[in-house]
Amino acid sequence: MKANEVPQDITYYEGVKRACYALNDEEKYVIITSTGWNTEDVVNGLAVEELAADLEETRKAVLAGVKSPLCYHMARRQMNPEILAKTAGIAAFRVKRHLTPGIFAKLKASILDRYAKALAVTREELKTVPQT
Amino acid sequence: MSTEVTAAGKPFIHHHSAHCESGVTSALFRDKGLEISEPMIFGIGSGIFFGHLPFVKWVGLPISTFRSLPGSVFRKAAKRLGGEFVTKRYRSPQKGMDELRHVLQTGQIVGLTTNIYWLSYFPNRFRFQFNGHNIVVLHEIENGFRVSDPVLDQPVDCLLDDLERARFAKGPLEPHGFMYYPKSVNAHPDLRTACIKGMKDTCNMMLKIPLPIFGIRGICFLGKRIIRSGEKLGFKEACRQLANIVRMQEEVGTGGAGFRFMYAAFLQEAAELFGSGELADLSKEMTAIGDIWREFAVVSARIIKQRGRAEETFAKAGGLMLICAGREEQLFKDLNNVVRKLKA
Repeated sequence: MKANEVPQDITYYEGVKRACYALNDEEKYVIITSTGWNTEDVVNGLAVEELAADLEETRKAVLAGVKSPLCYHMARRQMNPEILAKTAGIAAFRVKRHLTPGIFAKLKASILDRYAKALAVTREELKTVPQT
Repeated sequence: MSTEVTAAGKPFIHHHSAHCESGVTSALFRDKGLEISEPMIFGIGSGIFFGHLPFVKWVGLPISTFRSLPGSVFRKAAKRLGGEFVTKRYRSPQKGMDELRHVLQTGQIVGLTTNIYWLSYFPNRFRFQFNGHNIVVLHEIENGFRVSDPVLDQPVDCLLDDLERARFAKGPLEPHGFMYYPKSVNAHPDLRTACIKGMKDTCNMMLKIPLPIFGIRGICFLGKRIIRSGEKLGFKEACRQLANIVRMQEEVGTGGAGFRFMYAAFLQEAAELFGSGELADLSKEMTAIGDIWREFAVVSARIIKQRGRAEETFAKAGGLMLICAGREEQLFKDLNNVVRKLKA
């Protein structure tokens, strides 16, 4: 890659620039900052969209009463039950149980606090999901 | 590039780097007075690699990696350059944070392994659960730390809560608050021996691992899988997997083309060090291979964007990868021969 081929396509990701190695005019490698590349935008966009769609689906399921709010907050932090279990210090099979709304509703405050701490939300936030 | 001051009042120059681990390692060496570039650390630490693990899933996608195991660049580079490092892991977050403060107060800058999701100074779209991001902490500030993240072009502030969560995140490759800083650094290391060791190790990893999923064999394996993936997995799933490969190649701080350009930069620097024309030629070849990797990324993005209507097919993308594999195999074989002729 030559220095003038380093992509400067999009104002990348909220102003953050990326370092790329490229050859300058004297055929020597230097660091050139890149503001972004369309190709990266496509593949990153696919992953971001997928996460967003997944989160939205979970949110609707929570509002429909199929899943517990814990499920939404877990998905928001891009975790799975295993990671959440380790972070909160609660056995994985219990975490999976707590993803059902009925069981989640009966949880003690101390358990809720552990989830809240692990997910970096308040206890009140943990019990609800955004309406829109 | 911008200058900061550590707790000891020593100036610290932030260098924008392509990769977090080699960036942090070279920053730590530089702080101790050994001027060494990021590609040099990357080459000496044998950072370049390839692996495709179809049976290990991360968010439902097989893992493809263009680098060696997290932590190994630092470990190998430190050993080969004769730097003595203090490395520590903690069970208790409280203790981990206290000791970090304590070390910072002595004026030492510290390297940390963190989870990238919890570092909120990153743009949202880069944040995902990955426990192998490395940063340098410069000094403590009110309710947080001043952090030099080599992937960013400026030092930033990191909140205390964020850093604690990031250091003690759970999941695959748990960092356990991993902290490292140099105790002493050899100011005049034997760079030539270190380079030779690094290059030999890289050749072995790329050519000699007798498993079909690592090194050059791994690239062939993945290339063939991509060619078949359109029919085998269905278009949508094949796109997801392809996108993931390209993300691993370009997005996660590789300096372009899955570290190939950075390795070419290392070969160029090594060619100067040894005065070897052969290494310079290999650097050029590596650059050419890197360009093919970039083309692979472009073709892949077109497949994903145009939803399979156009002439860009999975066969073409996989074919490009097989070309890369063939040329890289020759390159590493040549490198293996050249490096044995070099005199330390």
